[in-house]
Formats: sequence, structure tokens, C-alpha cells
Amino acid sequence: MIQAEKLAKTFYVHEKEPGLKGSLVALVRRKKIAREAVRGVSFEVGEGEIVGLVGANGAGKTTVVKMLAGIIHPSAGRARVLGFDPWKRDDRMRRQIALIMGQKAQLWWDLPAADSFLLLKEIYQVEERRYRENLAYLSEVLGVASQLRVQLRRLSLGERMKMELIAALLHSPRVVFLDEPTIGLDLTAQRAIREFLLQYRREHRPAMILTSHYMEDIERLCERLLILRDGELVYDGALAGIRSFYGAKKVLTARLDPGLPEREIRTLASAANLGSLGELLGADGEGVRLAVPRERVAEAAGHLLEALPVEDLLIEEEDIGTLIEAIMRGRGQQP
Amino acid sequence: MSPRLFAIVASGEARRLMSYPVDFWLTSVVGFVVDFILAWFLWAAIFAASGQATLGGFDRQGMVMYYVLAILVGKLVRGADHETQLAEEVYQGSLTRYLVFPTSYFAFKYAQRVGQAAPGLLQALLFGSASLLLLDVSSLGQPSLFSVLAALVAIALGNLLAFTLAYLLESFAFWADNVWSLEVLMRFVTFFLGGQMVPLELFPAWARGVIAWLPFRFFFHFPAMTFAGRVGPGEWLGSTLLCLGWLAVLGAAGHLAWRRGFLRYTGVGI
Repeated sequence: MIQAEKLAKTFYVHEKEPGLKGSLVALVRRKKIAREAVRGVSFEVGEGEIVGLVGANGAGKTTVVKMLAGIIHPSAGRARVLGFDPWKRDDRMRRQIALIMGQKAQLWWDLPAADSFLLLKEIYQVEERRYRENLAYLSEVLGVASQLRVQLRRLSLGERMKMELIAALLHSPRVVFLDEPTIGLDLTAQRAIREFLLQYRREHRPAMILTSHYMEDIERLCERLLILRDGELVYDGALAGIRSFYGAKKVLTARLDPGLPEREIRTLASAANLGSLGELLGADGEGVRLAVPRERVAEAAGHLLEALPVEDLLIEEEDIGTLIEAIMRGRGQQP
Repeated sequence: MSPRLFAIVASGEARRLMSYPVDFWLTSVVGFVVDFILAWFLWAAIFAASGQATLGGFDRQGMVMYYVLAILVGKLVRGADHETQLAEEVYQGSLTRYLVFPTSYFAFKYAQRVGQAAPGLLQALLFGSASLLLLDVSSLGQPSLFSVLAALVAIALGNLLAFTLAYLLESFAFWADNVWSLEVLMRFVTFFLGGQMVPLELFPAWARGVIAWLPFRFFFHFPAMTFAGRVGPGEWLGSTLLCLGWLAVLGAAGHLAWRRGFLRYTGVGI
């Protein structure tokens, strides 16, 4: 349903030296620099799939979503969404897709959501009966049925986001782009939206691309992951397969005497030269945490027990969220 | 865009403006009253200082009547002065919202603009009828059924022309990001050459000859004078054809600017 082939986008931005002199110079001559936001990204997303698109800030996630939704033109490469070139913005394609941007309101700020939904019903030519059923279902499941007639600007952030979701899904789209749909929401609202998206997927089987900085969104919703780093796709595969793919490490947590002050724990950890064994994740009241390659676990455990006053030692798989964040930051390259 | 969707978008925009009653009434009533009082005292002073009974073919009563009509027509033609919408949407990235809708962006924005004329319509109904009762309209001209109908056509075309010009101008936001100063300049030019500041009859003959070929008079002077019955059928037809010509030229230029400009749209952020 979604195909991207060597998709690339270069933005041209102006740079200015800080200060008054820089501002005066920029009035006459501005320095233009090219920024490659996306570099030759290729992937496909099929029906019923929720694919997580993750990357650090500026990695190019939103740019990929915007190109696939037909908002911006790519600098190179091609894409097909439901068989259409997205940037030609054919109405037949636009009737079947939805774009939800957590950082930008799509609904009309001054109108109650119910008024906006009526307008969207006409825009997407949703049949009356289907509109009523969809609205009743979506507002009930998301728990905002009683807020439909309240001016949007008077709703809480979580309620507004739920209204945005309803607006995006009223026409039962076959392709959904979700760009940080849970940003800024409290934990309860985040959970409600995740549950709702899973339920929506079960019942409608759309192709979904989800970008999020919350690892819990990715872990709960996506079976497949695309990781972008500096505009390049560094991983495309199952979420579950990422450990073996990147040779995930084991995390050793050495709990020390609870009476030891944090400063002393840090001094001890520093003196123990743990960096030669692996990556020191932390040294504080919780203990000393060290991520080490699997083949060095025994050696690292022995060294920790010898060099520190350890009361308890815990050996765990590296948390998937921590692993993804490490990959986004630059750990490992795709072999 | 279907006529039904057009009507719903326009009505939605009118409802949006009416969702703030204080602002709606201030825009509708105070805006007109202030404009009217200014025109009344300004022209009273000018007539007194000049010592003449008529200026450019208008007596004092006729001049005030012209202003009433020009102000009301201007509100209908120019809507609620929301020219900055496209430029702002490009600047803030909110254009994105409309790009995913399966409908024409320009038809959508034009429908919104028609809805934004709601306060102007209320003013025209309230103050237009009051002015016709209180002031002697014959001092300006003799309205007839033809002149009223022809003025309605002129207002509708003027509205479309103002929209087309605004969107051509604002498409420069794709290149320059912020085009506010350009809009202020264009507003001044429009008011001055369109006959909102002073009736075009007060310009020298050579200037009137040039202005007659420009698009600005269709925003104020032409619909107002048509309503007053001072534009004959032949002149009205010729001017309307010229207006349609400008619509075609500005529309084509706007379309081109939009197509080129859109390639530069980033939607803000990476």
C-alpha cells in the first residue's frame, strides 16, 4: 500500500552569524546551505501493518511522512501510495489517507469539534449513515462523546488529540500517517490512544506509519521498525529481531551498600576502569549499570565483584527502548 | 468543489466569526460608524475650506453618500481583510491541513472568504438601508432595478478579483516567507487607486485614464457608482469585460506562482 524507493529530500536553509553584525550582513547577503534531510530511503508497508518510524530529532522522520502524504515534493526517488504518486495529490488517493500531526492542530480552533466533523464529512463525502456510525463509535471508544459540542480551544490537550484522531479516521482511511500522535499527553491519554489505535487496526486493517519519540508507543504498537539516522535508513525489520541484528548487549547492575553516598559510588566506578569492559550507563544510588557485549558478561561480572563492594548483581537483556535510542544515537551500522 | 461543500465551508467560516460575539459586533457596527464619522467630518472640512458647493461633480451630501457606498461595497468585496491567510499558512506550515483534503485548496479558501464577508453583509443591510433613508441618494445618482442588479454582479466579481490578487501576492511567501509589508503596500495602493480614499473623479483626467484600465477600481468605485445608477449599461458591460480579463490574467499568474512556489513548501520542520 505504501512504497518508497530511494526517496530523498534536500532542504535549502539560510544561515546567519549571531549578533547585530550578522543581521546587517544578512540583509545584503545570506548564506544558503543545503541540508540533506532524507537520503535514498526505500521501504514498503502493507495492509494491516503498523510500522514505527523512529530517529533522533532532525533524522528525517517527518520529512518522509510529509513526502508520502503529498505535502512536499521529494528531491529524488519515487513513492506510491495506494498506487498513486502522492505529490500529485489525486483526490482518489486523498480520500483514502489520513495524516495526524501531533504538533499541529488540523481542526478549526474556534469551532466545536462537531462542526469540524460535519465539514470533514462533506469534504470526504462520507455517507450520512456511515458518518453517524463512525462518529458514535470513535467518540465512544475515545471517551469524548460529551465534549463534541465544546469549542476546540476550550478542551484539554489530550481531548484535542482525541478529536484530531476522530477527524482523521471519520472517513475510514486505508493509509494512516501518525506523526507523534501522543506528544505532550499524560500517561493515561497516551495509553488510551495506543489502545484505540490497536483496536482500529484490528477492525480496519489500514497501513499505518507511526513516528514517535516515546518508545512505549513503538513497543506497544509496532511489530516492524524503520530507524532513521541522519536521513538514512539504518534498520528495517521486526522489532523483535533488533537485538540479534545489532548484537544487543547485556546490562549488569551491581547494587552496592545502600549506605554509600552517590559521590563515593561514582569515584569507585571511575577507579574500577569499567569503560574497558563496556558502556557505563550509570553510577548512582541505584548501583552501577554497565552494558557489555554478550561474550564478555562473565569477565565483566567477575571484574565488578572484584573491584566493587557488591551486595547484589543483576544480569538482564538490554531494554529494547534503550537499544533503539542507542542505535539512533549512532551505535552499530547495518552489516 | 461541489456547491454544497462550498456553502458549508462559507457558512462554517461565518459561524467561526460569529463565535466571538463581541468582536463580531465591533467589526460590524463600530468599524462602519468610525469610517462614516471620519468621512463626514473630513469632507465637511474640505468643502468648507474650498468654499465650493461641488467637488469633482459631488456636492457634500453626494460625497457622503459615495463614502457610505464605497465603505459598504469594500466590506463585501474585501471580506474581513484576511488576505494574509495563505502567506501565514505557508509561513506557519498550516497549509499542510488543506493539502490532504480531497478538494481544491483555492476553492476552499474562496468559500472561506465568502463566509468572511458575513459582517460586511450585515453592515450593508443595516447601514445601507439606514443611509438610503437618512441621506438623499439622489444627490449621488438614481438607482434603478438594473443598477442594483448590476452592482450585485460587480460586487461578486470584485470579491473574486480581490481574492485572486491577494493570492497571487501572497504566493510570494513561498520565496520570501514573510510578505506582510507587501500586503500593507498593496492595501494602500488598492484603497488609493480603487476610490476608497477619494472618489476617482477627483483625480486629473490623465490619471483617470490610466486608472480606468487597472483592476483596483473594481473593489470600490465601480460597484458603488453602478449601484448609484451613474454607470450606463454600455459602460458597465465594457468594465465587466475588463474585470473578467483581469481575473483571467491574475488567475493565470497566481496559478503559475502557486505551482512554482509549492515546490519550495517545507511544511516547517524536518
